[in-house]
Amino acid sequence: MLRKTLILTLLIALLTACAPQATPTNAPASTEIPTLAPSEETAAVSIRAASTQSANVLTFTDGLGREVKLNEPAQRVVSLAPSNTEILFAIGADSQVVGRDEFSDYPEEAKSIASVGGSFGEYSSEAILALEPDLVLAAEINPPELVKQLEDLGLTVYYLKNPLTLEEMYGNLEIVAQLTGHQDETSALVESLKARVATVDEKVATITDKPVVFYEIDASDASKPYTYGPGTFGDLLITRAGGVNFSVAAGITDPYPQVSLEQVVATNPAMIVLGDSMWGTTPESVQARAGWDVLDAVKNNQIFPFDDNLVSRPGPRLVDGLEQLAKLLHPDLFK
Amino acid sequence: MHRSPFLSSSLLLLLALLLSLAIGSVFLSPAELWDTIMGRGTEISSSILWKIRLPRTILIALTGAALGGSGATYQGLFRNPLADPFLIGVASGAGLGAVIAMSVQWPYSFWGLLAIPMAAFIAALLTVFIVYSLARVGQTIPTTNLILAGVAFSSFATSLTSFLMIRSTSEVRRALGWLLGGASQSGWTAILAIIPYLVIGLGILVFSGHTLNLLQFGDDQAQQLGLNVTRAKRILLIASSLSTAAAVAFSGIIGFIGLVVPHLMRLWFGPDYRRLLPLSILGGAGALLISDVIARIVLAPQEIPVGIVTSLAGAPFFLWVLRRSKNQGYW
Repeated sequence: MLRKTLILTLLIALLTACAPQATPTNAPASTEIPTLAPSEETAAVSIRAASTQSANVLTFTDGLGREVKLNEPAQRVVSLAPSNTEILFAIGADSQVVGRDEFSDYPEEAKSIASVGGSFGEYSSEAILALEPDLVLAAEINPPELVKQLEDLGLTVYYLKNPLTLEEMYGNLEIVAQLTGHQDETSALVESLKARVATVDEKVATITDKPVVFYEIDASDASKPYTYGPGTFGDLLITRAGGVNFSVAAGITDPYPQVSLEQVVATNPAMIVLGDSMWGTTPESVQARAGWDVLDAVKNNQIFPFDDNLVSRPGPRLVDGLEQLAKLLHPDLFK
Repeated sequence: MHRSPFLSSSLLLLLALLLSLAIGSVFLSPAELWDTIMGRGTEISSSILWKIRLPRTILIALTGAALGGSGATYQGLFRNPLADPFLIGVASGAGLGAVIAMSVQWPYSFWGLLAIPMAAFIAALLTVFIVYSLARVGQTIPTTNLILAGVAFSSFATSLTSFLMIRSTSEVRRALGWLLGGASQSGWTAILAIIPYLVIGLGILVFSGHTLNLLQFGDDQAQQLGLNVTRAKRILLIASSLSTAAAVAFSGIIGFIGLVVPHLMRLWFGPDYRRLLPLSILGGAGALLISDVIARIVLAPQEIPVGIVTSLAGAPFFLWVLRRSKNQGYW
């Protein structure tokens, strides 16, 4: 009995001594993405080396209240949402992404990463498992059942909650940075984002005349278009860019209301921003719509196509969205 | 094939089970599969086979069995070739329950994750109860009343569901995925949760062949032949609704299996319910398994909701069999 206990204790001691040194052998080279620039690569390696030397287990609490543990910054990440993919690329973790969902299309390099499904909300657990990830980055677009399913398969999942403000978005960037070991680059990124937002804020503070903007999400039924209401980033960014969101002017409280054309006519926005231009809507098609010609925005041809991804994907490109909206709303102030 | 219906159906089911275990979005060669079954496989292939494919296969097979069995029962009960398990509103009721549950942020815990299937299950049974109460005339349950009440309540529930989906646009994608059908919660929890209801429900149905045969003569004749018609209908309704509700709770709305599989079995093996019911159960399981395999591989690694595949593939297949069949007027 004593001999068995001794042998068992020795074995356990041996195993615990081995654990922190286990660095993944399936290095970034197995993915199909272009390799990092040499300077970034050395930076990434040194960060990784620093973490393994400390042998501390990184503990996080994710958006679902779950405890997530990593022995070291993740080297094989599967992203389950386009916003997460954009964040990973923006903070310099692109070589650590081994899988992405079907809709991740920005930046261009993301498209060459293996897809794990995602249309209809159905992901292929087999594909995810086969990629041998050490971290799966989920977003609010993924249901908790999916998180549980992947957790049951033994995978480490981090559920990144949607930010409600730009500050929360910076917070998300920093969380992903800690998960993947890119804290330094991300601090620099957040500083530059804050600076860009501050520039916009300064100039907007000088504006006295704020135009009413109608942001069109969808107008398949031209007499009942969808727009952004309070509580969405579309609304937040329009306001911050020096405009008045149509929904606020019309006193609407729903985040994604379907409004009647009559209300749009009554409020008479100065500008129409086409968030559905990626689905083929053009300023010309808006001018041809019945009943829309009475609007000031149509008469003055103040109809602008816009990339909706810049306001709907909760990542660093929200700042791009802010700048582009500012340029549209106040072209004389923002070049 | 006509001589041994149970043998051929069982073989088909076995084939479907093996296909479902062997095929998926990650390709495992027969050698790898054999190694994994024998316990010599890699960690990845073992996880894929035992933790993903096996529970999913079992859940899909059970769901298909429930749909096939209750479909045959409903067709016999209502004496209507267009009857399917969702005739009296089980699907729309379950959908409404699920969508209502989806608008709440449940805590991430064991019970929190079971909230939506439980809501769907309870709503499904509640719907049947309401429809049954609406249709009852004194001591009898006229089948016409049942159908009418069911259709009316279905429309009501469906429009409420659509309204809720429009209101909470953030949940639309999730609700749509559920309504189109698919084993979203594949895992042993789901299987353990529905097994008791399926055992009771399908267990009763398998032995109800004789009762259903009698009911084909009409309520009055069946009563005169010695059957307690009201009680028989009630038991059949309860058993099939339990099975359908359990099937729908975790797998969403999968149409067409409950309608087409009993017809196919009737075409091939005749209208005797003593054989038709068990065969529909076996056939339903096999058909849904094959549909799920197709749903997994057609656009890999995308997985189409299996409800789409059953309708797309089932309709032409059924029409083809119908045209080829020499037994016109079998119904």
